[in-house]
Amino acid sequence: MIEADIHVGDELPGFELTVTSTVIVAGAIASRDFMPAHHDSAYARGQGAPDMFMNILTTNGYVSKFITDWAGPEAILKKIAVRLGGPAIPGQPLRFSGQVIGAEDRGDERVFEVTIRAANDLGDHATGTVVVSLPRKSDS
Amino acid sequence: MAEDEKDPVRDSLEGFIGKPMGEGALAPEEVNLPMIRHWVDALDDRNPVYLDEAFAAETRMGGVVAPPAMLQTWTMPSPVIAGIAERGGAPTAMKSENVVTALDAAGYVGTLATNSELEFVRYLRPGDRLKTTSALESISPRKRTSLGLGYFVTWITTYWAGDDEVVGTQLFRIFKFDPSTLGGTA
Repeated sequence: MIEADIHVGDELPGFELTVTSTVIVAGAIASRDFMPAHHDSAYARGQGAPDMFMNILTTNGYVSKFITDWAGPEAILKKIAVRLGGPAIPGQPLRFSGQVIGAEDRGDERVFEVTIRAANDLGDHATGTVVVSLPRKSDS
Repeated sequence: MAEDEKDPVRDSLEGFIGKPMGEGALAPEEVNLPMIRHWVDALDDRNPVYLDEAFAAETRMGGVVAPPAMLQTWTMPSPVIAGIAERGGAPTAMKSENVVTALDAAGYVGTLATNSELEFVRYLRPGDRLKTTSALESISPRKRTSLGLGYFVTWITTYWAGDDEVVGTQLFRIFKFDPSTLGGTA
């Protein structure tokens, strides 16, 4: 993706994450989060949750992947701001969607604001905005 | 109690505002490729700038960088696994009193994370050694939500590389609530 191909109003290609216990545990441990709610279903249910659930670091990680899978390896994330909703739990696919809502030049970069939503059948898991930049081509 | 009545609990928390949430954390290790690889595999994030040095060198990164969302990972405390469930998931025994432990003690034992705002000043590279400082930004008046009565607590963690370079920040907001007030009208 190059910056000239991105316009305000563009929708990002959708991404559906199959959420399994393994996906949740792998993300939790890779992010060094050993809280039992992120790997122990019985513990999580005892705390009132429907099942073990994805930790926030992993949610942010998938938001980052969702953005850079679209924007490409020259993309640099400036901000990931999310409001957290219902849990991401095994057996509930998480559907990511997004739309470009702003674009401006800053120095040698073009900076985009993108709204994102990750939702499952329980409702919104995370909604918010990501700020991401791509290098500007020289004007020559 | 209604939301707008006098609230001695809230008043007692005022002194926490602006103060650290606890001791700052020092990353046990530098940003490193083995942990990046673990993350890349766990999340199946195949952006080549995270592991492919030759590829990354040809991008504006100039070399491999850590996935930005790993920012928080580098300073996660080393856990004591034994007893972690009994500690409610806290990786180690809490040493210092802060607004969260004070609200627990006042009966607001429920915790729900509501907002996370990560800002990245620059991407991290292998060799960066991170540390954190934190400050409590705000405590809301008592609010009633679908979970019961409680307080929104917001703090900001600042991530440093070395002693004087801020590489990122995270605003984090939780709702600390009293589960016994769920659905009540008191």
